[in-house]
Amino acid sequence: MAHYEEVTVRGYDEFCQAISERKGKDIFAYFSGDKDAQGKSWCPDCVTAEPVVRGEMTHLPEGSVFIYCQVGERAYWKDSNNQFKKTLKLSGVPTLLRYGTPQKLVEDECFKSDLVRMMFTED
Amino acid sequence: MPPIENDTGKNELKSQIQLLIDSNQVMVFSKSYCPYCVKVKDLFKELKLEFNVMELDLMEDGTNYQDMLLEMTGQKSVPNVFINKTHVGGCDKTMQAHKDGSLQQLLCGESEAYDYDLIVIGGGSGGLACSKEAAALGKKAMVLDYVVPTPKGTTWGLGGTCVNVGCIPKKLMHQTAMLGTAIQDARKFGWEIDESVKHNWDTMKEAVNNYIGSLNWGYRVALRDKNVNYVNAYAEFVEPHKIKATNKRGKETFYTAAKFVLATGERPRYLGIPGDKEYCITSDDLFSLPHCPGKTLVIGASYVALECGGFLAGLGLDVTVMVRSILLRGFDQEMANRAGEHMEEHGVKFLRKYVPVKVEELEAGSPGRLKVTAKSTESDEVIEGEYNTVLIAVGRDACTDKIGLDKTGVKVNPKTGKIPVSDEEQTNVPHIYAIGDILEGKWELTPVAIQAGRLLARRLYGGGTLKCDYINVPTTVFTPLEYGCCGLSEDRAIELYGQENLEVFHSLFWPLEFTVPNRDNNKCYAKIICNKLDNDRVIGFHYLGPNAGEVTQGFGTAMKCGATKEQLDNTIGIHPTCAEVFTTLEVTKSSGGDITQSGC
Ligand SMILES: Cc1cc2nc3c(=O)[nH]c(=O)nc-3n(C[C@H](O)[C@H](O)[C@H](O)COP(=O)(O)OP(=O)(O)OC[C@H]3O[C@@H](n4cnc5c(N)ncnc54)[C@H](O)[C@@H]3O)c2cc1C
Repeated sequence: MAHYEEVTVRGYDEFCQAISERKGKDIFAYFSGDKDAQGKSWCPDCVTAEPVVRGEMTHLPEGSVFIYCQVGERAYWKDSNNQFKKTLKLSGVPTLLRYGTPQKLVEDECFKSDLVRMMFTED
Repeated sequence: MPPIENDTGKNELKSQIQLLIDSNQVMVFSKSYCPYCVKVKDLFKELKLEFNVMELDLMEDGTNYQDMLLEMTGQKSVPNVFINKTHVGGCDKTMQAHKDGSLQQLLCGESEAYDYDLIVIGGGSGGLACSKEAAALGKKAMVLDYVVPTPKGTTWGLGGTCVNVGCIPKKLMHQTAMLGTAIQDARKFGWEIDESVKHNWDTMKEAVNNYIGSLNWGYRVALRDKNVNYVNAYAEFVEPHKIKATNKRGKETFYTAAKFVLATGERPRYLGIPGDKEYCITSDDLFSLPHCPGKTLVIGASYVALECGGFLAGLGLDVTVMVRSILLRGFDQEMANRAGEHMEEHGVKFLRKYVPVKVEELEAGSPGRLKVTAKSTESDEVIEGEYNTVLIAVGRDACTDKIGLDKTGVKVNPKTGKIPVSDEEQTNVPHIYAIGDILEGKWELTPVAIQAGRLLARRLYGGGTLKCDYINVPTTVFTPLEYGCCGLSEDRAIELYGQENLEVFHSLFWPLEFTVPNRDNNKCYAKIICNKLDNDRVIGFHYLGPNAGEVTQGFGTAMKCGATKEQLDNTIGIHPTCAEVFTTLEVTKSSGGDITQSGC
C-alpha cells in the first residue's frame, strides 16, 4: 500500500468534488492537459514533466493525497475564462501545487526534480 | 628527443605540465636516482598522502620537462613539488613546510578544508542577493534564515524584513489607504458610489499575506534552483570559521566556511517601560494583525511610525502619533514637517514632546483596551490616553549581539550594535563581511542591501571590481503625501557647504488630479539644493507629492550623472505632471519670492 492516496479526475467539477471529500488533508494537485487515446497529452510540457513528478512521488508525505487532474481539451484550456484559470488562478499547465498554500510549480519548474521534491518533503 | 624550439610545441608542453599540477593534490617532478627526491617521496608516503610522481630521468623528453619547469617556476633542480596547485619548491623547502605546518595548510587548501565557500547569515534582501550571486559564480554557498518570533508570537517566512514586515506590506497598505482617498475623489469626478463605503481589515490582511506567502515560496524555489543551500535555522559563530545552526526543534548542526557574510538585519526596538512587550505591538506584528487595530497610538516619529500612522488613518481609524522631539530624524526637516502637517490636516493627531512611561491593559480582547501614561519632555505634566492598539516605532536595533561575534573578533560599535566595514564591506576580520541594515553609517534600504550583496559576491568570486556606491541614493517615505528625496537634506548641505555657497530653488504645486476634487492646494512642494561652487550642481532633491517614488527614481539617475540646475532648466517637462515642476523652478529661497500656486 502506498503511503499516500492517488486520485485521478478530469475537469473542474470532479476536481472540486475530490477536494471536498478530503477536507483537512495535505493535498497535492497536478494539473495536466488531457491525454488522447494513445495516452499522450496535447501539452508537450506536460509530457516532459509527468515522469519527473511521478519520479518524486515516493517522497510524498505520509497520509497525503495526490490528485492527478486533466484540465480538458486544448480549446477549453486556452479560454482565459475557464474555471481553472479564473477560480484556481492557474496560469499554465503543467502546474503542481500544494492545495491551500502558496506553494506552486508552474510549467518548466515541474521539470526540475529537486523543486518537486522540495514541495513534497518540506513544509 | 631534441629540444623543443617552436612555440606551439612549448605551449603544448606547458599545458601538459599545468594539467598535472592542476589535477593532482600532490605532484612531484623527480629523478629516480636522486636521494633528495627519495626523501620527499618518503615523506609523502609517511604522511599517507596520495601523490603523483613523474620520474624525468626515465622519460624520453624529461629534459624538455625540466627546461619548462625552470621557465614556469624558476627552479631547475629536482624534486620540484606542487601542492594544491601551489609551487612548494625542492627538498629543503618541502621539509621546511612540513615542519612549520604550512604544508598541512596547503594540503587543506581553502575549498577542501571547509564545508562551504560562503555562508551567509540572514536570508533577507542582502543575504539572498549575495548567496544567489555567489552560487551563480560557481561557489558552494549556504544561507541561513531564522525569524525569532516577536513577543506577541508573530513570525514569518523566508525573505527578511522587506518582504514580510517592511516595504511590501507597508506599500500595499499605503495603497489601500490611497484607494480610500481615490474613492472620495471619484465622487467629484462623477462616480456615483454608495455613501457607506467601508473597509475590511481581514480582507486586506489576507490578500497582502497571501501575496507575501507566494513571495516566500518563490524565494525558496529560486534558492533551490540556483543551488544555494537554504537552512531555516538560527546561526551563531562558535569559531571564526564555524557556525552552529539551531532549528526550530532545537536541533543543532555545525557548518564551516572559508568566508562569511553577515546580513542579519534589524528588529524593532522596544521602550523599556512597563507593559511595552506585554501589550504593545511593533511593525513586525501590525501587517498580520488578526484584527483591525482600532483606535491606535503610534509611538515614535521614524518613517515607519509616520507611514504606519498614515495608512491606518487612511483606513478611517482614529490615530494619534506621540513624538518625543522631531519628525523623521536625518531627513530634510522642512520636508518632514510639511509631510507631518499634511497628516495633521487629514485627521492624524500629534502629541508632541511627550514620552510614554507605562502601558496598562484595561481589557483584553481583539482588540482590547490599553491605557497609556506619558509625560512631557518639557514639564512635569503627565497625560493619559486610552487606545485599542499601541504601536511602537521608535527605531530598530541591529541583530548583532546574539550571533557569537565575540568568537570571531569582529568589531561592533558598542553603542549602536552596528558593524563598521571597509568600502568593500569587509569587517576587521578579513574573511567576514557584512551588508545591509547592520552596517554603520550606511543606508537602511532594500535596494542598497541587494546591490551591496550582489557586488560583494562578484568581487569575491567573479573578478569584479565595482563597489557599492552609497552616495546619492534615492528613497521615498510613503506618508499619505509621499516624500521622495535624493542627496543631501538642506540642513546637512548647509553644514557641509555653508549657506552662502548654496542656492535653493523651490515651489509649491497643485497636482492636476487634486484640482477637480479641490483638495490639498499648496501642500505639494518641490525643492532642489544647488552647489554654487560647482556649477550649480544639484546636491539635494526633495519632492512632496503623489507618486514620489516614481518621480524621484529618474532624478536619482540624473544626479548620478551630475545634473546641474541648467540641465534641469533645459529639460523639457512632461505636461501635465507633477514632476515637470523640476524643469521650471525659478524662485530661490533666499529671494523670499512667492511660491504659492494659483492655477495652471
Ligand atoms: C516597516 C518597514 C518598512 C520599510 N520600507 C522600506 C521601503 O519602502 N523601501 C526600502 O528600500 N526599505 C524599506 N525598509 C527597510 C528594508 O526592509 C531593509 O533595509 C532591508 O530589509 C534590509 O535588508 P537586510 O538584508 O539588511 O536585512 P533583513 O531584510 O532584515 O534580513 C535579515 C534576515 O536575517 C534573519 N536573521 C537575523 N539573525 C539571524 C541569525 N542569527 N540566523 C539566521 N537568520 C537570522 C532575520 O530573521 C531576517 O530574515 C522598511 C523597513 C521596515 C521595518
